[in-house]
Amino acid sequence: MRKEIYFEDLDIGEEMPSLVKDPVERVQLVRYAGASGDFNPLHTDPEVGRQAGTGGVIAHGMLIMGFVGQAITNWIPNKYLKKFGVRFVGMTRPGDIVTITGKVREKKEDGDGKGIVCDVEARNQAGTLLISGSFEAALPSRSLT
Amino acid sequence: MADKSGIGREYPPIKWEVERGKIRELVQAIGDGNPIYVDKEAAMEEGYKDIIASPTFITVPLMWTGIGMTVIKDLKINYGKILHGEERYEYYQEIYPGDILTGRTKIINIQTKSGKSGDMDIITREILYTNQRNEPVLKATTVTVERV
Repeated sequence: MRKEIYFEDLDIGEEMPSLVKDPVERVQLVRYAGASGDFNPLHTDPEVGRQAGTGGVIAHGMLIMGFVGQAITNWIPNKYLKKFGVRFVGMTRPGDIVTITGKVREKKEDGDGKGIVCDVEARNQAGTLLISGSFEAALPSRSLT
Repeated sequence: MADKSGIGREYPPIKWEVERGKIRELVQAIGDGNPIYVDKEAAMEEGYKDIIASPTFITVPLMWTGIGMTVIKDLKINYGKILHGEERYEYYQEIYPGDILTGRTKIINIQTKSGKSGDMDIITREILYTNQRNEPVLKATTVTVERV
């Protein structure tokens, strides 16, 4: 059972625990294709990738968004997640090691309750930006008022 | 070039039954070991009534129903020239195994923009998913970029 996370425990600028993923594997892209139903051959057939000018297969952007989702819900329970959006910036290739980081940008208190807005990003081992995005989560409060 | 007369167009609803195995397959491909996606007891300990779908699960009905491709063909978008620009989700409630989702697709906007590498069409598509009780569960907004 995870420890409860409260609105009052987080400050603006506070960092989300970073997640370093294992190197992306070619077979992982095949698995992701089968799981998600995205069979675009750019992700599984190196010849198609070469012809398209990507220099071999590239990962599904949605796989990398899945990594970011994993990092978020390692930290904030899934049930508190209200919004999650990303922009796909860079390409990920087999062997790349993806690191996900995030930071609290804003704390909100309004009629809907209390929550946080965080910026998140994914970068590869060279520091190249793959994904930038943000999420919003509603959080329980220590005070009842 | 995307067909701009498609702005505001709505597509016939898609139906998708959420399977336990598809939830598990997706998190295993991602390498997300959070037990709430695979272990009912672990999920119940965290306050859910069963395992739940992971944050990006909704891509599964999108791809497997083929609605994304339907839209691409209908708007005469060149599949070989597209990039996934953005993906945004709003979550209204958890998605559980056995849920029967209905997704209603609408084209929000199609804009042509000039970039460094030429003109691009920016297509914004929204799908609102409801469950078998007709309650909204999730809204997915996708921005597709077509190099023209």
